Amino acid sequence: MSFCLDTYLQQSDNYEIHASKAGFKDCAMIIRFKANEVVYVKPGDEVLGVRVIGIPPIPIGIDDEKGTVFIPYTKPCHGTSVVELPIAEEEIDNIRKMNTQ
Amino acid sequence: MKALVLLGCPETPSQTPMAVYASDKLTKLGYDTTIAANPAAAKLVKVSDPEDYYNLNIVDLERTLGEVQAGDYDLLLGFVHKDAAAAFFVTFDQILDTKSIALVFERDLDLVGQFVEMIEESGSKAKICAVRAFHNPSPIKINLDKALKELE
Repeated sequence: MSFCLDTYLQQSDNYEIHASKAGFKDCAMIIRFKANEVVYVKPGDEVLGVRVIGIPPIPIGIDDEKGTVFIPYTKPCHGTSVVELPIAEEEIDNIRKMNTQ
Repeated sequence: MKALVLLGCPETPSQTPMAVYASDKLTKLGYDTTIAANPAAAKLVKVSDPEDYYNLNIVDLERTLGEVQAGDYDLLLGFVHKDAAAAFFVTFDQILDTKSIALVFERDLDLVGQFVEMIEESGSKAKICAVRAFHNPSPIKINLDKALKELE
């Protein structure tokens, strides 16, 4: 079964929230600041089993050493959060292939 | 013709009556209209039409986001009154790649400007109708009527 971010966040506590209930632009800035590699995707692109929400270009951060990604996560009533979670190397490569810049 | 009405967080009082109004207007213009909302916003709209007089078609926002494809709708109408609502609108707008109207409103004029900027920065071709409003739906209604008239 492929990875699904929504299910992961419900069932695991192995993730870190770097910002919550924030604006999208602030979260994008945090991702660019915290991650040592950034990949840019389009709104609606599917990353980790969910469509990414935001203003293009949407940054997805990668920390190769820790094997984690930083992803913006938006909910209508709670604004945007930045979530860092560990994912398989294969999934990181899939995200790299989506880079629009 | 199909139209998708996108609702944001239900905290703003004007959204629910405007959702019913917009759905009715679009239906009368010949659109097969769907309202996409989160569970709380959907409940407010459903309770507003107990006899199903307006025959509102309400679907789950996040499920719709997961399933929607370019060409599924001929018109996107979004209520943009929060940062997250602007992000959702831009995302649906880019996926659907169709005619779109953004009804931007907030009680704080600076935030109205900020949401307009977010939509414009995305490269969207949406017709943006922005106004300072919160409790009173009339300024939003006037903007919607004008935008729909331009569509006719």
